[in-house]
Order: sequence, then C-alpha cells, then structure tokens
Amino acid sequence: MKNTIISALALAVLFTACKKDKTITQPADPNAFNVSVSGKIVSVKNLPADTIVGLVGGQPVGVGKYSFFNLRTNTWVANTDSASANWDLAFSGSTIRINAGTSGPAAGGAFVWVGSFDNLATIPADSVFKTDNYPAYAITKGSGKGWYSYDGATNLLNPIPGRVLVIKTANGKYAKVEILNYYRGGVTPSASATDEVKTSEQRYYTFRYTFQSNGSTTF
Amino acid sequence: MKPTVSLFIAAILTGSSVLAQGQRIYRPEDTTRAKELNEVVVTATRTERKLTNVAVPVKLIDQRTIQQAGSLRLRDILQEQAGLYMTNGFGAGVQMQGLNPDYTLIMVDGEPLVGRTAGVLDLNRVAVGNIRRIEIVKGPSSSLYGSEAMAGVINVITDNSFKKRLNTGLRYGFGNPDEGWALPGSRKSFDNLDFSLQGSTTIHKIGIQFFSNANYLDGVSFRPFSTERVPQPIWRLTNQLQLNYRISQRTKASFSIRHAYDHIKQEFAVSNNGAVTNSYGREANKDLNSSGTLVHQFSDKVKTALRLYATAYNGSQVLKFREIPDSVYDDEFRQHFYRAENQTDISWEKATLTLGAGYAVDQVNSTRYDEVSSRKQNTIGYGFAQYDWSPSEKFTVIAGIRYDDNKLFAAAVSPKLALRYTVSKKLSLKASAGRGFKAPDFRQLYLNFTNNAAGGYSVFGSIDAVKIIDELNRLGQIAEIREDYSKLKQLTPEYSTGLNAGGTYTPVEPLSITFNFFRNDIENLIDAREVAVRSNGTQIFSYINVKNAYTEGAEMEVRWEWKKFFQVNAGYQFLYTADKADLKKIRSKSVFTRDENGYSRLLERREYSGLPNRSRHMLNLKFCYDDQSFFATFRAIYRGKWVVSDADGNGLYNSHDEFADGFVLFNLSAGRQFKNGIRLQAGMDNALNYRDVNNLPNLPGRMFWLGAQFNLIH
Repeated sequence: MKNTIISALALAVLFTACKKDKTITQPADPNAFNVSVSGKIVSVKNLPADTIVGLVGGQPVGVGKYSFFNLRTNTWVANTDSASANWDLAFSGSTIRINAGTSGPAAGGAFVWVGSFDNLATIPADSVFKTDNYPAYAITKGSGKGWYSYDGATNLLNPIPGRVLVIKTANGKYAKVEILNYYRGGVTPSASATDEVKTSEQRYYTFRYTFQSNGSTTF
Repeated sequence: MKPTVSLFIAAILTGSSVLAQGQRIYRPEDTTRAKELNEVVVTATRTERKLTNVAVPVKLIDQRTIQQAGSLRLRDILQEQAGLYMTNGFGAGVQMQGLNPDYTLIMVDGEPLVGRTAGVLDLNRVAVGNIRRIEIVKGPSSSLYGSEAMAGVINVITDNSFKKRLNTGLRYGFGNPDEGWALPGSRKSFDNLDFSLQGSTTIHKIGIQFFSNANYLDGVSFRPFSTERVPQPIWRLTNQLQLNYRISQRTKASFSIRHAYDHIKQEFAVSNNGAVTNSYGREANKDLNSSGTLVHQFSDKVKTALRLYATAYNGSQVLKFREIPDSVYDDEFRQHFYRAENQTDISWEKATLTLGAGYAVDQVNSTRYDEVSSRKQNTIGYGFAQYDWSPSEKFTVIAGIRYDDNKLFAAAVSPKLALRYTVSKKLSLKASAGRGFKAPDFRQLYLNFTNNAAGGYSVFGSIDAVKIIDELNRLGQIAEIREDYSKLKQLTPEYSTGLNAGGTYTPVEPLSITFNFFRNDIENLIDAREVAVRSNGTQIFSYINVKNAYTEGAEMEVRWEWKKFFQVNAGYQFLYTADKADLKKIRSKSVFTRDENGYSRLLERREYSGLPNRSRHMLNLKFCYDDQSFFATFRAIYRGKWVVSDADGNGLYNSHDEFADGFVLFNLSAGRQFKNGIRLQAGMDNALNYRDVNNLPNLPGRMFWLGAQFNLIH
C-alpha cells in the first residue's frame, strides 16, 4: 500500500515535472508579434503592416491602415493615437512614415545611412534629417532608393543590407533602426514559392533598433 | 521585290549556285584518332584546314556521334559538349564561354539563322538528322563573320555527298515525369515521335539531295494538381532540298532551300500577385532559308565563291484568356535577311590570302514594335581580309580584319590574330586574340511592348523611349523619371575582346588532352534599365549601353581510346564571371549582405558570384563502345549550382543568394548495325529522372526511346 502511494506520488511528481518542463521549453510562436530587449538593442518581430486582405484590380491590397510604433516605450501604439506624439514610426506595406511633416504632429525626422548597424556609433554632425512631405517621404519609397529592393522577376521584397534608418523621434531624441525582414516569421519566401504564399506572408516587419534616451547623437 | 532577291533568283535560273563550305568526305571506317588527325574544318578560317592545323579552339561533332546519341534536335547534341550550356527562356539557347545566347552566331552551311526572341535563337528549330558534322569555334570570330560572333560560332554542316541512297528513320520515345517508368498511354505519360526520310542521287551531273523530318513532342505535366503542361505539345517539320551542278572542271554551282515549321499548342496560367490568368492558343514559327553558291577555280592558286542567301523567319502567337473572353493577344514577328557575298582565296605554297566583301539587308516587322505593316530596316556593307601563313609545318600565323558599316549604328572594326606552334610530336600550342561585336538588334531599338499579363510593365526601344516617356509625362501619367533616363541615347554595338590560349598534349598515342584558357572582356553591354515609373506604379524600361563584364576560365578535354573499339571522353569547364560595376561597388565597401542573425555586414570579394545563370563547374563524360556492328554509349552531363535570384536584396549576386541545385543527367543508348543497312537503336535519356520544375522547366523526366533506320536504296 505504502509502496503504491509512493509510486503514485512519484508518478504525480514526474507528471508535474514533465508538464512544467513542457511549458518551459515550448518555443514562442515564430509568427507572433514580439518585442524583446537585449542590452541597448530592441528586437521587434512580426509587426503587421496593413497585411493583404484581397485583390483590387489584380493588385493585392490591405485595408489601408498603418501600424504605429513607439521607439521610446518599445510598444505598438493604437491607431486612435495617430494624431499624437505617442509614436515614432508608422508602417503600411513598404511605406514607413515618421512623426513629422504631412504624416504626424511631432517634429521628427529621418534619413537613410549606408553602413552596418554596429558601425553607426555616432550620427555624423553634417547629417540632414528630412521630414515627410506627401507624396515624398523622409524614408524614400521605391525599389533601391530607400530601405528595400523589390525584384519584379521573383515578386519578392527584401530590405537592402547595410541600410540604417536614422530617426529623430517624436520627442526629439535619436534612434537607429535596421529593417531585417518584410515577411512573416522573418524569413523571405523562396523565389519559387507561389504568388499566393508571397502575397499572404508579406507586410510583417522584423527590425531592431537602439534608442538613445539622453538626447545625444552617440548610441 | 528587293533587288537582292532578283539577283538571287537570277543566280538560281542561270544555275550558278553552290554550297561552298565543307566539301570534305566522311569515312566512317576510319578510326577515331586517325579520323581526328585528318579531319578538315571550314568555320575557323573560312577555308578548308586540317583540324590539327587550326590556330583557334575548334570542336567537331560528327554524324556518327549524333546518331549514336540518338539526338534529334541541335540542342540535344550540343548539351553533351563540355562548356556549352543550354539556357531555358525563349527556347533553348546556348551559353558559350559564359556569354549569353545573344552572342553566339548559329549558321547552317555557313549562312546565319535569324529570328531570335529576346536574343535567343531556339536550337530546337534545327533538326540534326541530315547533319554531317557540327563545327564549334570558340572565341570572338567577328573578323570573319561580323555581328553576333562575339562568343563564337556554331556551324551546322548538312550532308551533301549526292551518292545514290534513300533512307528512312523512325523513333518513338515515351516517359512519365512522375514515376519515370510508366508505360505509354497511361495517365501523365508523354510521347515523342520522330520520322525522317532522306535521299540523294546524281543525275546527269546534277546532285540532288533531300531531307524531310517530322517530330512531335507531347506536353508534359509536372506540377501536381495542375493541368499546365510544361513543355507544351509541339509539332516540328523540316524539309530541305539541295542541288549541286558541276558546270565544268573548274566551276560548280549549288542551291539549297530549307523550310522549318514549329507549331506549339499553348495552355498556361500566369499568376500575378495571386490573380491567375488562364491563357490558351498557339505559337507557330516558320523558317525559310535559301542559298545559292557559285564557286570557280581560276587556277590552282585562285578560287572565288559567290554566295547569295535569303531567309525569312515568321513567328506568331495567338492567345485568348479564359478570364477576359473578348480579349485576344496576337503577336507577330517577321524577319527577312538577304545577303550577297564574295570570297576569294589566293593560295601560295606557304600562305593563303582570303578577301571578301558583302552586302546585307535585315528587315523586321513586329506587332511588338508598332504596326506589323511598318518595316524596320538595317543595311550592312562589309569587307574582310585574312592572311594565313605557315612558314613551316610547325608554325602557323593567321591575321584577319573585318569592317562592318551599319546604316543604323556605328561601324565596327574586328581584328584577330592567331598563332599555332607544334613543339613536339606530343605537344602543340595555340593562342589567339580577337575582337567581336554584336550590333544592337531591332528589339533594343524599336520595342514598344506592355506586358498586361504580368503586371503591366512596359519596354520601349531606345529610339522612341524618350519621345514616348515625354508624351506620357505631358499627359501626367508619369510618377517618376529615374536616373537612367538621362543616359538614353543612340545605341552602339557591344564589344568583346577575347583571348584564348591552349594546346593539345598527347603523352601516349591513344590518350590526348586538349586544354584552353580563355578571357572575354565585354564592353558597352546593352542592359534593360528602369527609366521611369507610371502614375499607377508600373515600370518603364529601355535599353542603354552601360554594362562592362568579363568571363574567364579554363576548359579541358581528355580522350582515350582502347583497341579502336572503346573510347572515353571527358570534358570540363571552369568559369568565373563578373559585372565590373559590381566589383567596383564591392571595392568601395558599399555592398553589404546579412549574417546568420539577419544583421548587415560588408560583403567580401570572395563571396561574389558574378553574372546570374552561370555554373562555375560543368562536366561531361562519355563512354562509347563501337565495333561497327554493335555500339553502346553512356553519357553523363553535370552542371554545378547557379545563382537564380538576389535573395539578400543587395543588388548583386553572391553566395547568400538563392541558387538552383547542381544536377547530373545520365543518357544511355545502344544499337546494332546490320549488313543489309538496317540499324536498330534504343536508349534512355535522363535515366536518373532528374527534374527541377522551377529552374529547368523544359527538362522532361526520364524518356525511353526505340529507333530504327532503313536504307531503302543503297
């Protein structure tokens, strides 16, 4: 009898242990929106940016909404806050707006710096921050001109490696941003994937950034 | 009709035509090695020369090789040659020394084939049943042949022995790309039928020879759950008639007319951003070539040949769309090319001087330019000279130059120098340097094409691009003018400077090693660039002379023979290519890629892959047993991986991009030659059933075939 109880207990412990183990090792959903901080670097995964809902005139379209992001608080901001200084970047398709000019009420700014993220230690003194002036944007739209390159043959969009978005935030501080991927899960589909896959997986931003809260231009 | 045509007809009526090139007699009883030593080539110098005495890299493929492999089309046999790669878009093109198909001149009996689509001349257009041999000359050959001969020349020489004979050949092939082993008639299997009839005779000094071929290849459905058939079902017909008349001991006339017809049934779906358009219809291509030659031997020393050539190519495509019932896509392309040429050879004991001059008219009508009734025309006047000097048996020097005066573009001067030196019985060396060019084609000048099936982008030829874009801009339909717009101007020819150096080493008699190192510097390459963007976001492209590139590498062929029956052939090509603008960007440290975390870092020079769709390594291997009554072959073709798309988005191709897998094809054949003139053959192509739907859409799976040839009169 005693033995049975001990066995039962042991089994119960084992089961509990197993259960606990399972919850610990369960991997995070690679397709879920996620923000993680490691030292000075903040990583954002799967920020949807007006994902495709259907076709209009043969062209894939979303509902036309932006996703607003605050680089100071590391949060995805509600669309109702769009007219505030509560956001720094807004994403919709391949368009990235900043909180300035025709896009928002704050006095933000941005430019695209060529080089690797780590090598941008201090923003060069002669840098010129641009603002959004619809239909032009501080982060220039168009393949090969701003942050991405689009390949018409494969119908795939990739961030150009070696492009850093230098951002003046809504409160006048500085941040550097590197866009890492444009597809769900942070992986660009293969060139041979179907158009259906390429369409449904696109418009999910994976990026990393460093925000300098003390107002200096050195990260 | 054009004056050239009248002249041409006059020449035919007076019986003054001849097939000038390639009057060599083929002896099947010769052993391979002996045969090779005696083989004569005409393409390298435009005069008959022993293969062993030619100073430029030349490869010969003889009739027996073609027959044993069971090849039906020119593509089939060329893909088994080391260093030649068959490209896939717009038919099967040939990539030679790493240069695109645009830059290899394809000739039948010394006269060029016309009718290229996007620069590609589909090698499946040429049936090989009546071919006596194929001569492949590598390296720039514009000094003799003018435009297009930038990478090299492939000259297909038809059989014209005019002996009394009549043979017929029949071949049936079948396969199933999914299982590889299915019997004909079962679901998803495909068939390939080929029939040919060939005969020749000589009546009252008039040699007559004809060839007729019909080929049908079923469409193959690769993709599961898809009715789309890749390749599409295709019919091909070829007819050729050749006449030869010896007017006197010194004068010979010949005439040839060749007609080829392809009919492709089309049914395919184009998916653009998830919107699928189902198209169905047909493509038809007609090719008509006629040539007349008159050769006169003035004396032992002086020989002259007058060659007249007229060719017409007509390609058309009619498509309807299931989703848009009233819309019809009707595409037509017609090209006419006429040429008159004289070549005179003056021979001394140790030297030959070749002088030539000619005039050509090239015309194109296409719905892709404007109206099909509107004709675009270029005229070319040219002259060439070549001095071929052999001060001793051991040493040959060839110097040549050609001048091409184009009405539409700048003139081109193409020099060439080649040397050959026999060091010893075991080793001979050769080296050559030459310049080649390719004139801009009509497409690059006049194209006016909007691809509504693929998103609505447009391509405008350089002549009208500025005018069209300015007009669109005036109408407020242009969102943006790109930087390259300012570079639009009159196109000039593309140039290459090629160096080839190599030789043949024969350590012991049945073993020989042929090697060659090459480098081609290509300047002024015409590239399609985005010049403007419409308000609706669609791109506008045009052509600009912008790119500079190079290809370099080494090729080697090893041949070994055992007791005249057994032969091994191994060929290898190593290739490096680069776009010089890419190299400059890498040097200036402005190109990045991503590390394993997806973070940007500088791209290193060693990671650069060069031009797309090229393999660094290509290998061909062939084992052949042939005792004149029984033969068997095993052929392997290897092509290393090649880059297909810029996956890391940095604008150039590197080791972090997407590559197509390297692959191996095994082809087998065996046959028996009977005394009564019957030959029975069987084979298996692509024995490993290798397929790659995305990167090799035209490669069907494993195919079995059975063939028979009968000599009806012999």
